Amino acid sequence: MNALPQVQTPREGPAAGVASSEAIIASKAVGKIFGETVVALEDINATIRRGEFVSLIGPSGCGKSTFLRLVAGLTFPTSGTLDVLGQPMAGPRPEIGMMFQKPTLLAWKSVFENVMLPVTLAKKGRTSKADREKAIDLLHLVGLEGFEFSYPSQLSGGMQQRVALARLLNTGAEILLLDEPFGALDEFTRERLNVELLRIQREVKATILFVTHNIQEAVFLADKVFVMTPRPGRLAEVVDVDLPRPREIELMKDDTFNRRVFEIRDILGGTI
Amino acid sequence: MSVTDASAAGRAKAAPAIRFPLWAQHLLVFACFIAIWEAAVQFNWVSALILPSPFAVVGAWWDLAIVRGIIWSHFFVTLTEVLVGFAIGASFGVGIAVISAINPIFRRLVQPYMVALQVTPRIAIAPIIVAWLGFGMEPKIAIAAIICFFPMFINALTGLMQVDYENQEMFDSMRATKWQVFRHLQLPGAMPVIMAGFKTSISLALIGAIVGEFVSASEGIGVLIQRFSFQLLLPQAFASLIMLTFMGLVLYFMATFADRRIVYWQHEDLVARISKKARARHSDLLGKRSA
Repeated sequence: MNALPQVQTPREGPAAGVASSEAIIASKAVGKIFGETVVALEDINATIRRGEFVSLIGPSGCGKSTFLRLVAGLTFPTSGTLDVLGQPMAGPRPEIGMMFQKPTLLAWKSVFENVMLPVTLAKKGRTSKADREKAIDLLHLVGLEGFEFSYPSQLSGGMQQRVALARLLNTGAEILLLDEPFGALDEFTRERLNVELLRIQREVKATILFVTHNIQEAVFLADKVFVMTPRPGRLAEVVDVDLPRPREIELMKDDTFNRRVFEIRDILGGTI
Repeated sequence: MSVTDASAAGRAKAAPAIRFPLWAQHLLVFACFIAIWEAAVQFNWVSALILPSPFAVVGAWWDLAIVRGIIWSHFFVTLTEVLVGFAIGASFGVGIAVISAINPIFRRLVQPYMVALQVTPRIAIAPIIVAWLGFGMEPKIAIAAIICFFPMFINALTGLMQVDYENQEMFDSMRATKWQVFRHLQLPGAMPVIMAGFKTSISLALIGAIVGEFVSASEGIGVLIQRFSFQLLLPQAFASLIMLTFMGLVLYFMATFADRRIVYWQHEDLVARISKKARARHSDLLGKRSA
């Protein structure tokens, strides 16, 4: 029956009943300077709506990871205002979860215990049977049936990232920040995980910010692609990806898909 | 036999004609070693007064360990000194490393003393410790503890400070408390390095205890070696030395056992076994799902 878990009920938000077009992340003239002189981000104006899938793309040093960390509350803007869920960012929040290029799994914990980590931390170790069942469900959702009690060292890189994804989902966050999560994987594994990420997003209905420097990946996944350019990090353009969902890998043969890819390549021009 | 000449010849070329099992190879080397030693004494290449024959050593050991059985009390005195000394030294080493890792001000303030302790040959403190604590087991325990302290401290601090940046961010994004970061990330992450320090320290503790016994003591294997050597009872001195080798091996296996237990995730065979067990233990979770 209920084979796939209801990972989260999208919260009604501060203003209950607001339509899905509500801005969940609003960046107004956000800038970030490291030290005295290193301008990582300059004048970022962007709006992300609930349930949107946004890819951030650009060459190294364009500040895309910095922007993600601002939204995560791991660092703060030096100018401008960044509102998340209707409030100015003031540090990490339970509604926001993050995943990295490295799986960042704990080698001494089993896959199951790694996925349980967000709940273990939030509940100070007092987890319930329902929590444990949900972790198992999430592991099945990301396709790790049969590996629930393996250890990270026994898994391939792609499977380790699946564990990291299940752990991210188990935070219960409604905004998921993914920093080049599949960047270290081979092309085939990456494509398969891209398709599965879209399936999982349909399932959990989260808002996703996805950093990558692969243009095809960015277009394939996203509703909107934020194209960023470096020195200083700026948001050069927002490209709407008007392609239907659900998407399968064949979409990459589609004309519109390829037009979007080349459009982005043109914007980035010589910067890559 | 059905083996053809050609294939037999081919195999003989590929591998040596005679293959000994590993234990037989070890036995052969050991027998050669004993034979050369015995020959050196028998043919008077070395005076028997200086180097006792292996049979004299075994005879002395038999007398001390089995017939009179007097060596064991000394053995356990030394072993106790080593274990207690190690426990104290390691606890302080790890404890102060933890405080240093958590508190940068403390780390900065203790650092000069740690460097001073590192550059001073620590066994030189042995006579002073004996002057303070007398002739019993206490000074040997103290010396063993002081000698083990440093490698444990350095390894623990190194391990605790090498937290991966993205792992830290991951915990931060989950709003983990400082204690949770320590308990779930920092400490387990440091354990492999701490256990490497454990292995170094436990053999250092043995050195510390023996040095203490050399300085002044009435009991312990170090005392026996010194006493027998002064009396030119070299077979007995060698027999005592063999007991120390035995003790060293016991400590080594203890350290290896502890290492496998504590940093199990670094041992492939253990990980496979543990994950199988965990699967069986949580069969209720899995069973219900697949049903």
